[in-house]
Amino acid sequence: MEAGHQAASVSYRDVTKRYPGQTEPAIRNLSLEVPAGEICVLVGPSGCGKTTAMRMVNRTVEITEGDILIGQTSVRERDPAELRREMGYVIQQVGLFPHRTVADNIATVPRLLGWDRDRIAARIGELLELIGLDPDMRDRFPSQLSGGQQQRVGVARALAADPPVMLMDEPFGAIDPIARERLQNEFLRLQAEIRKTVLFVTHDIDEAIKMGDRIAILKAGGRLAQYATPAELLMAPADDFVEDFVGADRALKRLALMRVRDIDLWQAPLAFVGQATGEVRAKLDGAEVPHALVVDSERRPIGWLSETDLARETVPQRPDSGPQPILDLDDVMRDALADLLQTETQYAPVTDGDGRIAGVLSVEIISEFLVSPEAKVEEHAAVERPTAE
Amino acid sequence: MTAAVAQFAPLLAQTEIHNRAEGEASCVAQNKAFCLDWALDNFDRYTTPLLEHLVLVVVSVAMGFLVAFAMALLSHRRRWLVPTFTGATGVLYTIPSLAFFFLLLPVTGRGTDTAIIALTAYTLQIIYRNIVAGLANVPVESREAGRGMGMTHRQLLWRVELPLALPEIIAGLRVATVSTVAIATLAVFAGAGGLGEPIYQQLDFKTNIVIAGGLAILMAIVFDALLVVALRLLAPWRGREPASARRRHRLATLRRAPEAA
Amino acid sequence: MTGLIHLGLLGPFADAIDFILHQQEARTGQTLVGGPDQVLDPTLQHLKVTFLALGASLAVALPVGVVLGHLGKGELFAVSIGNAGRAIPELALIAFVAAFIGVGLLNVTFALAVLGVPPILTNAYVGVSQVDRNAIEAARGMGLSDLQVIGRVELPLAVPTIMTGVRTAAITIIATAAVATLAGISTLGDLLIGRNVYGDEGVLAGAIVVAVVAFVIAQSSGDDRDSSEPGKSATAAGDDGAEEDFGRPRQ
Repeated sequence: MEAGHQAASVSYRDVTKRYPGQTEPAIRNLSLEVPAGEICVLVGPSGCGKTTAMRMVNRTVEITEGDILIGQTSVRERDPAELRREMGYVIQQVGLFPHRTVADNIATVPRLLGWDRDRIAARIGELLELIGLDPDMRDRFPSQLSGGQQQRVGVARALAADPPVMLMDEPFGAIDPIARERLQNEFLRLQAEIRKTVLFVTHDIDEAIKMGDRIAILKAGGRLAQYATPAELLMAPADDFVEDFVGADRALKRLALMRVRDIDLWQAPLAFVGQATGEVRAKLDGAEVPHALVVDSERRPIGWLSETDLARETVPQRPDSGPQPILDLDDVMRDALADLLQTETQYAPVTDGDGRIAGVLSVEIISEFLVSPEAKVEEHAAVERPTAE
Repeated sequence: MTAAVAQFAPLLAQTEIHNRAEGEASCVAQNKAFCLDWALDNFDRYTTPLLEHLVLVVVSVAMGFLVAFAMALLSHRRRWLVPTFTGATGVLYTIPSLAFFFLLLPVTGRGTDTAIIALTAYTLQIIYRNIVAGLANVPVESREAGRGMGMTHRQLLWRVELPLALPEIIAGLRVATVSTVAIATLAVFAGAGGLGEPIYQQLDFKTNIVIAGGLAILMAIVFDALLVVALRLLAPWRGREPASARRRHRLATLRRAPEAA
Repeated sequence: MTGLIHLGLLGPFADAIDFILHQQEARTGQTLVGGPDQVLDPTLQHLKVTFLALGASLAVALPVGVVLGHLGKGELFAVSIGNAGRAIPELALIAFVAAFIGVGLLNVTFALAVLGVPPILTNAYVGVSQVDRNAIEAARGMGLSDLQVIGRVELPLAVPTIMTGVRTAAITIIATAAVATLAGISTLGDLLIGRNVYGDEGVLAGAIVVAVVAFVIAQSSGDDRDSSEPGKSATAAGDDGAEEDFGRPRQ
């Protein structure tokens, strides 16, 4: 990755937005700090002012009182058009220019900034790779892309000039849930590499918890109800409003914060192809998991042994039951649970990055964990508590 | 045998010419629907009117476009101007061209100028309306994205809005051009020549009407086709839309400005 | 200086108005021309042939356009007819009809109707086919027959679009009727082409009356309601530094 601008922090200092002719301000005395390189999610019910708050950063909505600083510079001192060229801006409907190719769309801001052609071409190639799009797509028009592909081009376009700050307004809202989840994961992977400061607006609390390093829950009038990490939010909601908004299923939502490796897995007795079934049967006595898992010489799961299989002399090459679903240590716990429930499997083998068996996961393990005292997540960074309304 | 034919060849040729001339004369005398021979022999009568007609159309539409475009730019960010401009161009459209010619006579005299002014005035409404509608139909999200990324209003207009409005602008130009070709046949009454002149000079000669009228229709078709080609060249992204979207767009264009087929 | 120019311009127009109002001696000195009576006659004839032609166009084009639009068929035909109609050279048409078919009121009416059919047909088609599907569904659901759907739902909703087409047809017909003198009937074209008899004032008078007639008829058959264009963007007020409200609900 080309060394770009360092991500910059974004600070709201007592920001108020009043629309003419309205008695109540749309945003009232909002103050919060977004540290550089973090994703801050603005979330709240319809009309709470989250989009307005975001748009005040690039002055597509003007601040009435107060100030917003990017790094140390006030946004009010900059020329709006210039200011916006230094920020990535992604909106829900993407807004790709239909009359320009993918490459031209991405090149929009670099061209506005006067980059030379070679630099732009190189950057486009870089970005296409980053967002996972085939280089052949350069010369396609947006109408020839799927919704998910368009969204990705939108993100690439926002990243083109390597801005220190990204503004994203419900960027994945207009896509089907399957594609949305994929895009969310990819964006998180991207963010791990490039570490931009991101202001992300959504109405979906689950998305907020998944995507955010910090979450700002806004009430009507743009008042800040709580500004905290996802874990804090789930553990210690500031008031009834936050608790309601986060939802009664907070416990389950916690699973979105964990990975399979965070939990103690059970072990199943392993069986190798060609091994004498007598040996396997011996291992089964008193095992944590009362079924034997057939693995190959590399300790990769092949399937489960059934009673019929055990009746034979040796472990067959193809056991009766397949190994699916095969989980990964790095899977998000919520997704792993969903897989288990969906396939109605009691036990699922968990593999490491090389596909080798690491343990077995079951619904039981998860539910036990949820009620245990260990279910306190350790990642409590000191959170700056804003002045609550 | 061949010698005999060779002897008669010049005579045959002469007879042939004579017969043809006779045929032509009789055709003309009988005022048949279309005398091909006469047409071929006298085609050069129509070149000057044809060229005059061409000039009238091209200049009028070009000027109409320039004026309408300027008006559209002016009213793009001053929306209050739109009803005024629409009304004004509408009035000009309503005045029948023939009347317009004569109304201008005391001011600009007989000649090409008068015709061009009237013809230009007639095109203003359709072109202006289509430019404005085309600009209004730019997707809101493209506009929002453009502004949000830091384009100035002017950059947005020239890089995003106008290119996207091009299909509708060209649709308006097509209508304007075809209409102007048809109406310019009346320019003879303003003393501007054109294909109306041969018609007016020999109102009962059928072949004459067919030729002059046919040339006008042909000109209209050619211009229309040229503009369609121009659209495909200037807006290559348009062919990529799914057919259903194009159909919807086409009907929507028709509804808003029904002359803009 | 400007005063003189104004007078200069006003002169011919004043003369023309005078022509309409007062009878005067002709160029040729042999007859009296001008005056309300003499101007009224061709005007009435002009209006007569206009309305006849419009009526004929409507009678042909409206049913066809409405039915096609209702069925949703024949779009290519309906749209192409509009395009083709625009390309008909007016003078050539009148001359053609006069030479090939004959002169007289009937033939001229026919020619003018040919000009009037395309815009009305196309607009009738577009107007009807674009009626909100929901309204039609609801009507059908309530038990309205096809004919009733057309009459009570589609036609009324299509009226603005249809009237725009009628307006276009009317303007074209009035304009072309002015040269119908060449086809043997008496219209305001008499004045326009009869410079020798009626003089410059007469010609200009004719032009003024034609323009007024066209204006009145155009205005009464539907005004330009296109100022409320669909998809019109919300205003971006002023220049940089001001609000950019793209019309989305505030969140």
